Amino acid sequence: MIDQRKKHNFKLYNIIIFIVFVAFITALDLKFLGDDYVRRVLSLAAIYTIVSVSMNLVNGFTGLFSLGQAGFMAVGAYTVAIFTVPLEKRAAIFYVVDQNPVLAQIHLPFVVALILGGLLSALIAILIGIPVLRLRSDYLAIATLGFSEIIRIILTNAKSITNGALGIKGIPEMPTMWVFFGVMILSVTLIVLLINSSYGRAFKAIREDEIAAEAMGINLFKHKVMSFAIGAFFAGIGGGLLASLLGTVDPKQFYFTMTYNFLLIIVLGGMGSISGTVIASFIVTIGLEVLRFFDEPLTLLGFNIPLFRAGFRMVIFSALLMILVLFFRNGLLGQKELSWDMITSWFNKKTLRRKEKGGAL
Amino acid sequence: MKRKLSLLLSLLMIFTMFTACSKQGAGTETSNSDVIKIGVFEPLTGENGGGGLQELDGIKYANKMYPEVLGKKIELVIVDNKSDKGEATTAVTRLIEKDKVVAIIGSYGSGVSIAAGDIIKNAKIPAMGASCTNPMVTQGNEYYFRACFLDPFQGRVMANYALQQGAKTAAVIMQNGDDYSVGLGNFFIDAFKELTNDPNCIVDVSEFQVNDTDFNAILTNIKAKNPDVIFAPSSATTAPLIIKQARALGIKSLIMGGDTWENPSVIEVAGADAEGIVLSTFFDENDPATEEAKKFVEGYKKELAGKEPIIPAVAALGYDAYLLVRDAIERAGSTNGEAIKDALKATKDFEGVTGIINFTEEGDADKNIAVIKTVKGGQFVYIDTVEVK
Repeated sequence: MIDQRKKHNFKLYNIIIFIVFVAFITALDLKFLGDDYVRRVLSLAAIYTIVSVSMNLVNGFTGLFSLGQAGFMAVGAYTVAIFTVPLEKRAAIFYVVDQNPVLAQIHLPFVVALILGGLLSALIAILIGIPVLRLRSDYLAIATLGFSEIIRIILTNAKSITNGALGIKGIPEMPTMWVFFGVMILSVTLIVLLINSSYGRAFKAIREDEIAAEAMGINLFKHKVMSFAIGAFFAGIGGGLLASLLGTVDPKQFYFTMTYNFLLIIVLGGMGSISGTVIASFIVTIGLEVLRFFDEPLTLLGFNIPLFRAGFRMVIFSALLMILVLFFRNGLLGQKELSWDMITSWFNKKTLRRKEKGGAL
Repeated sequence: MKRKLSLLLSLLMIFTMFTACSKQGAGTETSNSDVIKIGVFEPLTGENGGGGLQELDGIKYANKMYPEVLGKKIELVIVDNKSDKGEATTAVTRLIEKDKVVAIIGSYGSGVSIAAGDIIKNAKIPAMGASCTNPMVTQGNEYYFRACFLDPFQGRVMANYALQQGAKTAAVIMQNGDDYSVGLGNFFIDAFKELTNDPNCIVDVSEFQVNDTDFNAILTNIKAKNPDVIFAPSSATTAPLIIKQARALGIKSLIMGGDTWENPSVIEVAGADAEGIVLSTFFDENDPATEEAKKFVEGYKKELAGKEPIIPAVAALGYDAYLLVRDAIERAGSTNGEAIKDALKATKDFEGVTGIINFTEEGDADKNIAVIKTVKGGQFVYIDTVEVK
C-alpha cells in the first residue's frame, strides 16, 4: 500500500521536474532569463549529451571500445555544412578550389540535411563495422581511432566538396534553443527505449559475456553492427547540430582528441548509465566555464596571487578529474540509473548512519 | 567521502546556473564606471597555446605602455579558447555578455576566429584579429578587422621577389590540412603565374602530411624538374627538415618560406644549410619601419629580458591590434560598438609597429610593406623592405 503510494508520488515528481525543466529552457529561450552566454553553454551541453549518450550505447552498453566518435560527428557536421550554406555565399567560401558543380546547386533544409548526415554516418559505420567489429578490445579501439583519422584526412583532401583545410563558414544559425534540446530529449528517449528493448538486453548480454550471449542465441555480429550504426547515427546528428551552433566547420576540429572529450564524459558519468552520462555532460561543459574564475587574476588583501592566471583553469580541471577517478572508480553512477529510490536511499542511509553514530554515544 | 563529493559537485552545478543567470544585470554599470574593458581571446592551452601566449604578451605589453583611453583605465579581460571552436564561441559570448567588453582582440589561429565571427557580428562588438590570416575571418563581417597582412599579399611579395631574382620556374611544397600553408602556397602560385605570364611556370606542387619528417620523395621529384625556386610555406619545425634534405640531395634552387620561418630554431636545426634561404615577415627589429616600432623594439627587448632571442612577429601584431583598437576608441569618443567600428573603418595611415596601417573594405589591414630577410652567417639578415601597391 505504502509502496504504491510512494511510486505514485515519484511519478508525480518526475512530471513536475520535467515541467520545470521545460519551463526553464523555454524561459531561457524567450530571453526572460539568462543571457546568450548561458544559452550557448547549455546548447553546447545538450549537443555533448547527444554524442556522449550515443557513445555510451556502443562503449558502455555493448562493451565495444570504439573511439571513432569524432569521425562520425565530422560526417554529420560536414553534411549539414555542405547542404545548408546559402547558395549565394558559396562562391566566396570556395575561393581556392571551386565547389563541385553538382553540389553547388543543391540546398537542403536544415532538418533534411541533419537526418541525411546521421544516415550517412550510420551507413559508413555499417561499412566500416563489417570488417572492424571482428576485432575486440584494444584492437577495436585502434581500428576505430584510425578510421576517424581517415575521415578527417578525406575531408582535408576532398577540396571540391569540403573546401579542404580552409573549412566552411556561414552555416545558418538556429532560431531557438529547442532545436538542440528537442533533439537531445528525442535521442536520449530513443536510446533509452532501445536499451530497454530486447535488442538492448542483447547488447548488455554481449557486454557481459560474448560466449554466453552467443550460446543464448544472440547473433553477435548483427547486434554489434546494429549498436555501432545506431551510435554513429546519433553522433552524426550531434555533429550536425554542433556545426549549426558554431556556424563553421573545418577538419582540424575533428582531431581524434575530440573523441576524448566524450570518453571523459561517459567515464565520468558511468559506463552503462544514461542518466550518469547526461549529468556528466552538463557538469563537464558547465564546469569548464565555471572554472574560468581561476583564469582571472585574483587580488586578495592587496596581494596578487600569482597562481591565478590564464591556463590555471585546466590544471584545476585535471586535478578534479583525478579526484573523481580515484574516489569513483565506476564514474558517478556506475551502471545504475538515477532514480527516486536511489535519491531517497541516499538520504536515508545518511540519516541512518547519523542515528547509528548517535546511538553509539 | 563519496557522498560529500557528489553533493559538492551537484551544488557546484546548481550554483553555476544561478551565477550565470544573476549576473546579467550587473554588467550595464561598468560602461559608466572608470574602466573600459577590452576582451582578449587567445588559445593559451591546447594545440596553439605557444603562439597564443606570444601574442598575448604583445597585447599585455601594449596595455602597459598605453593603459588609458578617454581618461579611463583600460582593463584587459583575458579568456582562454583552448584552441577549440566550441570553447571559442562560449569564451567570446562570455566576454560580450558577462564582462560587457567594448571591443575584442584575437585570436591566434583562424578557425577559432571564424567560429567567433558570427557572434561578434550579431552582438555588434568590433573585433580585431592580430595574426589570423585566413580570408574567411573578415569576409562578410564588417565588425571583424585584422592587423596582419593577408596570405594573398605575402604570396604576391614572394612571387615578386622570386621574379626579381630571375626565377622562371618554381616548385611549391605545402602542408596538407594546414589553412595557412595551403592558402599561402596557392596565392603564390596565382601571383607567380600572373607575373611571369607563363601558365607552366609552376613545375611541381606537392603536399606533405602533418608530422612528416621525410621529404626525400617530394624533393627527389622536384630535383628532377629543376625549378629556379622552391616555395615551402610551413611551420618552423618542418622548415629546417625540408631545407636540410633538399641541400643533402644537391638541390641548388633558392628556397623560400613565409613569416613562420623567422624562428631561431630553423637556423639551429638546419645549421649551415639554412644559409641563403629567403623569407618574408611582418617587421624587422633591426630596421624599424616607424617611430612606434623603434620604441617597441627597444622596450620589448627589455621586457623579454632574453626570454626569447628575437621578438616574435605575433607579439608585434598583438601590440598593433591593441593600439588600433585604443586609437579607434579615442577617435570615436565613446565605447559604443557601432561608433568604434566606424572609427576603425576610418583608420587612416595609422603608424603601427608593423608598418602604416589602413583598412580595406573587408576590414583587412591594407599594409604596404613586407620585410624580406635571408640567413647569413647563422643570423637572420635584412635584405629589403618591399612595397607592393
